Amino acid sequence: MMRSLQSQAFTFLTPAGDPRRRNMSADTKIAELLTELHQLIKQTQEERSRSEHNLLNIQKTHERMQTENKTSPYYRTKLRGLYTTAKADAEAECSILRHALDKIAEIKSLLEERRIAAKMAGVYSDSDPPRKTMRRGVLMTLLQQSAMTLPLWIGKPGESPPPLCGAISASSDYVAKQGDKVAARVKAVDGDEQWILAEVVSYNHSTNKYEVDDIDEEGKERHTLSRRRIIPLPQWKANPETDPEALFSKDQLVLALYPQTTCFYRALIHTPPHRPQDDYSVLFEDTSYADGYSPPLNVAQRYVVACKENKKK
Amino acid sequence: MSELKDCPPLKYYDFKPVEHVKLCPRYTAVLGRSEDDGIGIEELDTLQLELETLLSSASRRLRALEEQRQILTEWQDKKGDKRFLKLSKDPDPAAPVRHKPKKQKLDGKGGHGPGPGPGRPKSKNLQPKVQEYEFTDDPQDIPRTPKNDAPNRFWASVEPYCADITNEEIRLLEELLKPPEDEAEYFKIPTLGKHYSQRWAQEDLLEEQREGARANDKKKSLMGGPLSELDAKDVDSLLKKSESQHESPEDGCPFGPLTQRLLQALVEENIISPMEDSPIPDISGKDANDGAGTSPRSQGKSFSVPHTRSLEARIKEELIAQGLLDSEERPGQGGDLEDEVLAELQKRQAELKALIAHNRARKQELLRLAKEEMRKQELRQRVRVADNEVMEGFRRIMAARQKKRTPTKKEKDQAWKALKERESILKRRQQKLSCRSTVEDILADVDPRMKQEPVCLTLSSCVSGVTRFILKGYRAAQLSTGSFTTDNNQRKAAS
Repeated sequence: MMRSLQSQAFTFLTPAGDPRRRNMSADTKIAELLTELHQLIKQTQEERSRSEHNLLNIQKTHERMQTENKTSPYYRTKLRGLYTTAKADAEAECSILRHALDKIAEIKSLLEERRIAAKMAGVYSDSDPPRKTMRRGVLMTLLQQSAMTLPLWIGKPGESPPPLCGAISASSDYVAKQGDKVAARVKAVDGDEQWILAEVVSYNHSTNKYEVDDIDEEGKERHTLSRRRIIPLPQWKANPETDPEALFSKDQLVLALYPQTTCFYRALIHTPPHRPQDDYSVLFEDTSYADGYSPPLNVAQRYVVACKENKKK
Repeated sequence: MSELKDCPPLKYYDFKPVEHVKLCPRYTAVLGRSEDDGIGIEELDTLQLELETLLSSASRRLRALEEQRQILTEWQDKKGDKRFLKLSKDPDPAAPVRHKPKKQKLDGKGGHGPGPGPGRPKSKNLQPKVQEYEFTDDPQDIPRTPKNDAPNRFWASVEPYCADITNEEIRLLEELLKPPEDEAEYFKIPTLGKHYSQRWAQEDLLEEQREGARANDKKKSLMGGPLSELDAKDVDSLLKKSESQHESPEDGCPFGPLTQRLLQALVEENIISPMEDSPIPDISGKDANDGAGTSPRSQGKSFSVPHTRSLEARIKEELIAQGLLDSEERPGQGGDLEDEVLAELQKRQAELKALIAHNRARKQELLRLAKEEMRKQELRQRVRVADNEVMEGFRRIMAARQKKRTPTKKEKDQAWKALKERESILKRRQQKLSCRSTVEDILADVDPRMKQEPVCLTLSSCVSGVTRFILKGYRAAQLSTGSFTTDNNQRKAAS
């Protein structure tokens, strides 16, 4: 993944003429942000070591209370005080961590912008050497990478997960942005309809149609599809530890990206993830198996979306 | 005072912070770097994951702390209140859920478990914990298992091709064989209407008339009535005149083309002959046959000769009789050689006739096959019955075996009878199976144009019957080999 990111950075620096200056400024911006991030991380650690002492105190108090098996008013008051301090510490730590994560997201969005710009430049200028099509293995690694680094949604207490977090689908008037990954229902050459993994190129508000690129470079073609045929992929992972309701539950019907392909197929959730970095385990509909379903396969949260149509016919 | 009341239902969570050195190596590495070294772009992804881990743990701690603090406060406020225990449980339904995965996570990530110790929940809390866990899980867990019915769908789609032929289908075929009532409709040739040039002329005239009337109306409103009446009469007479003109050929000659040609032949000869012989007496001489002695010229503009049509017809008849004219010259009813529409119509009708004949033959063939298949079906039915009988006999003999007594004579006879009957039926069927190949030939011969005829659309569904027939033959063949084994068993049992 590191290599892929670096190679992306290279392609950005090469375009001749004006884009370079823009890239330069974007580069300095990114460098600045990285420095800020570095500082934030250092602050985080300061905060953490500061609160560590208090937490240790709480633990000691717990131990003592449990050995005595009786809560004296003294301990209760003490514990309450400790809890309050620890809570404030935790709040501070959370806020600084969020800050750091926001920085990372900012840097990533800058990188993404550059990627899209380079892609456009690649399309429109002849001076560039033709972009080499990605090898399939590389593409698959990239897809997995982007699934893994999908940000985890961690709400403040009492906050409920937003749309496009885990299984929560986008609002009906949501419009996917340029560069967003979506599941797109396209007609293949042989007339079959298929859900493919695609990237949004543009959205036409007057016709309500998306223009999307097939993510698979081998079948590189641009499709124009009505919004009904587009399902935006989640933009946050849902945290099974705090927001299990934002995950698909067992036996729910979904569309999931079949491993090592760029197509979505109907599947049933076998087990939802238990930890933030876990994948779903799903059973794909597959008539070549006796019970009609494949053995459980792992699919990342990012590539599991709700199956809209109930049954064709 | 019981111990329970004395002790707030605290969970004594393990608030140990995440050991970042073990769990977050990148984070630790970045911490150790100086300002100048900074962070590389390629490190972002890993850092993100690690920061997320930290944040997740911190926010979990935050929630747990808040909840515990709440419990402590409430417990202090309501100390001695008997309802307290109930109430205190309410605010933390999600807590156990949160607590449990945390442990799993730690175990999985760094092999670092909190271990048994002060941080663990008290055992008395375990019971409600399990219950509540199940409770919170329940609402989402409504199993809505969508069935994968692709195989069923497939078999359902194949079913019509393999099902037995019913009497109803035979009836439908017979129904199709009857020529439809409106068949004659397609072979009618409508009579020629008025030539379009005449119709248009008349329409033009009518239009002009209408416009004139409108102009008159205007005039009338200006000048008063009597004049317009006169005009209307004028127009009527004009119209009549034009109609009478249209009836006769444009040159004003009332005679048919043959008459004219004949006449022309005579007149030309007269040009060479001396001028005293005027053509007029000649014509009058001819016309004298029809009883019209008047010369056309003397009659002036509005002359008309009666019976010109019959004259024309008789001349034609005469000419044909004399062998001067080919009777084939005017084919069809009222049409002539140059009528393209008629020619096309006749061509299509001929095609339709051929098509109908072809389809008819196919339908008849289908009907024959279907009937034959019906007979076979009946035979198969009987085989099935015979099979059952054989199995029944087999069971009886086996039952007798189990009771350690020899099967009675009656039972043996019955079994043998059933076996023989079955064999005879099978033999008969074998002979019939040979006709399968002929059906395939017929299928190859089905005319693709059949679809053009509306009736054939329904027929195409009958073609599927033929396919069905073939499939059945295959099935039957399988059946006979399959049942052979039971046959052998039977024999063993009977002996």
